[in-house]
Amino acid sequence: MAAAVVRGIGSNLSKNLREVRLHLCQISAASQGTRDFIEQHYVTLKKANPEFPILIRECSGVQPVLWARYGFGKEHNVSLDNMNADQVAKALESVVNAKP
Amino acid sequence: MLRLPAVSRALAGAAHSKGSISTTNNVWTSVRASSNMVEVFVDGKPVAVEPGTTVLQACEKVGVQIPRFCYHDRLSVAGNCRMCLVEIEKAPKPVAACAMPVMKGWNILTNSEKTRKAREGVMEFLLSNHPLDCPICDQGGECDLQDQSMMFGADRSRFTEEKRAVEDKNIGPLIKTIMTRCIHCTRCVRFASEVAGVEDLGTTGRGNTMQIGTYVEKMFMSELSGNVIDLCPVGALTSKPYAFTARPWETRKTESIDVLDAVGSNIVVSTRGGEVMRILPRLNEDVNEEWISDKTRFAYDGLKRQRLIQPMVKDASGQLVATTWEDVLTRVAGALQGVQGSEVGAIAGGMVDAEALVALKDLLNRLDSDTLCTEEIFPMAGAGTDLRSNYLLNSRITGIEESDLLLLVGTNPRYEAPLFNARVRKSWLHNELQVAMVGHKVDLSYSYNHLGETTQVLQEIAAGTHPFCKDLAQAKKPVVVVGSSALQREDGAAIFKAVSTIAQNSRASSGVEEGWKVLNVLHRVASQVAALDLGYKPGVDAIRKNPPKVLFLLGADAGCITRADLPKDSFIIYQGHHGDVGAVMADVILPGAAYTEKNGTYVNTEGRAQQTRVAVTAPGMAREDWKILRAISELAGVTLPYDTVDEVRRRLEEVSPNLVRYDDVEESNYFKQAHELSKAVNQSLLAAPLVPPQLTVKDFYMTDPISRASQTMAKCVKAVTEGAAAVDEPSIC
Repeated sequence: MAAAVVRGIGSNLSKNLREVRLHLCQISAASQGTRDFIEQHYVTLKKANPEFPILIRECSGVQPVLWARYGFGKEHNVSLDNMNADQVAKALESVVNAKP
Repeated sequence: MLRLPAVSRALAGAAHSKGSISTTNNVWTSVRASSNMVEVFVDGKPVAVEPGTTVLQACEKVGVQIPRFCYHDRLSVAGNCRMCLVEIEKAPKPVAACAMPVMKGWNILTNSEKTRKAREGVMEFLLSNHPLDCPICDQGGECDLQDQSMMFGADRSRFTEEKRAVEDKNIGPLIKTIMTRCIHCTRCVRFASEVAGVEDLGTTGRGNTMQIGTYVEKMFMSELSGNVIDLCPVGALTSKPYAFTARPWETRKTESIDVLDAVGSNIVVSTRGGEVMRILPRLNEDVNEEWISDKTRFAYDGLKRQRLIQPMVKDASGQLVATTWEDVLTRVAGALQGVQGSEVGAIAGGMVDAEALVALKDLLNRLDSDTLCTEEIFPMAGAGTDLRSNYLLNSRITGIEESDLLLLVGTNPRYEAPLFNARVRKSWLHNELQVAMVGHKVDLSYSYNHLGETTQVLQEIAAGTHPFCKDLAQAKKPVVVVGSSALQREDGAAIFKAVSTIAQNSRASSGVEEGWKVLNVLHRVASQVAALDLGYKPGVDAIRKNPPKVLFLLGADAGCITRADLPKDSFIIYQGHHGDVGAVMADVILPGAAYTEKNGTYVNTEGRAQQTRVAVTAPGMAREDWKILRAISELAGVTLPYDTVDEVRRRLEEVSPNLVRYDDVEESNYFKQAHELSKAVNQSLLAAPLVPPQLTVKDFYMTDPISRASQTMAKCVKAVTEGAAAVDEPSIC
């Protein structure tokens, strides 16, 4: 499921976005989906978008969040609290396709 | 002299650090927990200690501090000052508490008649040959001899003889030696031999004629030499630059962090009247223990020279002229508004705090520019800076103490990160750490297996064909450290790929548990990790490929980009604190604050965020860096959404939450993913040998704008190249 979404995103990360940041906790249950997503799909995503910054910033005790930066410094964030890997992929897809 | 291996600290109360992974921590165990604890009594109070602890440590556990001169918990036990003599009930003679291991059922009397008589006697002997120098001695006010004679000495003297005197020794431009004051505790000798690894200091003669020195005319040229100044309990070894400048009770102490290298040593900045008087180390078990390097300790006089104190503009004739803040901010804002986003770029230097970095990034992002670079290169092929584990010293500095095999690649940690090297040496000395190095052969103060300096060796180890791979496979807790200087090369990505492969292979073959990290990167500049955490592009390639019309240099003094690389009418803005390479080529100069003048967040090479604090105010018209950027943003029409330091730190948290987790290291994972991406890197290793830029102590002293402006550092370089006698010192004492 998530794999299909990631394939769908393909090399389009840089279409509207300038930078994607993933904040997650290394051990909490709420970040489990985000951790799974990174483990399973980050490599594919990066291989398709080798020049695009996908900053993964682990920090203990934080709520998992997806930050998306568009042109002119506009940023949006999506909470990934308690989501599973598929939902995280969907969230990523939504920020990729969103117009800033 | 009894030389027992240094026992780890029993007293955790003094430690300021959190989350230390010390392996032998014998403080919090209860008697019921382990049955081999020994019960002793200190002045009647029972305490249970591990077998092998000394009387002195047992007393410290209860909270009783026994006076001592020669004992230091990070050095081996000497037992020669005899100040720690305490009476044991029913024992015929007092025992030296620092050396005697406790026996079951002993009652240690720390304040009995015999103990007090012993202390008075020892003090009387020590003072009998000690010169009456207190008024002219720099140690006055913080002298162990003064303090202990007041507390434990006799109130009257019986001395009618003549005192002996000893010649002063010249051991360099940093340490002032007045050997008449020496009480022969031998702390300096043990420090030089054990911690610094430089066996230059020793004792000559016995009894009244005993002298501590180098015997021959030799300089004590270690990068950690300044620490003997802290160790010496009397005024025999003092700081030459600090001589006769201040008394300790008139200085204000501010806790801060050092930014002259990437270790982030904890320091105390002593100031008086708005001027930095000296820099002392602060205890942090996880980073620098109690030591700091010479550059950290003595380069503070560079903070007073070559400072940018007024905003400047280049006039028609090409001269920089002082002007007002309004003028300069308006010009900068005008320049930024007058170009497209793709025509603006920025380079961040090595001593910039995270607040300024995020302010600059936000400013340029709002102008639709993503060209924010650091001077230091890091290979971006593969995972690049996406995964923190790719660019941090993942094992942490304390992890070196648990390791059994360390492989250094293309780095000279002795001069790039002296405190990291001190930890390696400590581990080599006490924990039987084996060290191997791929790179130019350098003197690391400990013996290591030099595998070669060619990239061929690296390739063979990665492929598994080198004989060293057998050792790697057998290691139970291997650590691989690659220096950032090796990654600056054109084949940096290939080197990183090889190192990553070596790390993965040795982790697999060692069978160590998941939590152990093998791959490490040792950085050389203090702002690199924070910049990479915030999303800066490492290396100025982006600027070279697409030269901007407006270039913002934030403390960038390495000269990576010069006017020649930019279009003809480009506008260069320099914001920094010293007039170094960057300021000379700028059109506009914005004076910023140095590390002692701002509350800044710096992340060390382990990924530990720490903060500096304001010790003195910035000179002249200089201001804190993030505030200057905030002002520019307002004039440029893209006002940044923060007005106070707390708001900036909240923004830092939004970008990378570990930046505000002060004094902690956040675990970073995903090594497998990083390795998988690095495997896809298709670059070949160049034949050039791996030579780190700092090879001898001469290259250590002047590496950044502050140390380049320091006269003390210049004297050190002169002393190393021309000899101690060549340095012109004013006649002292």
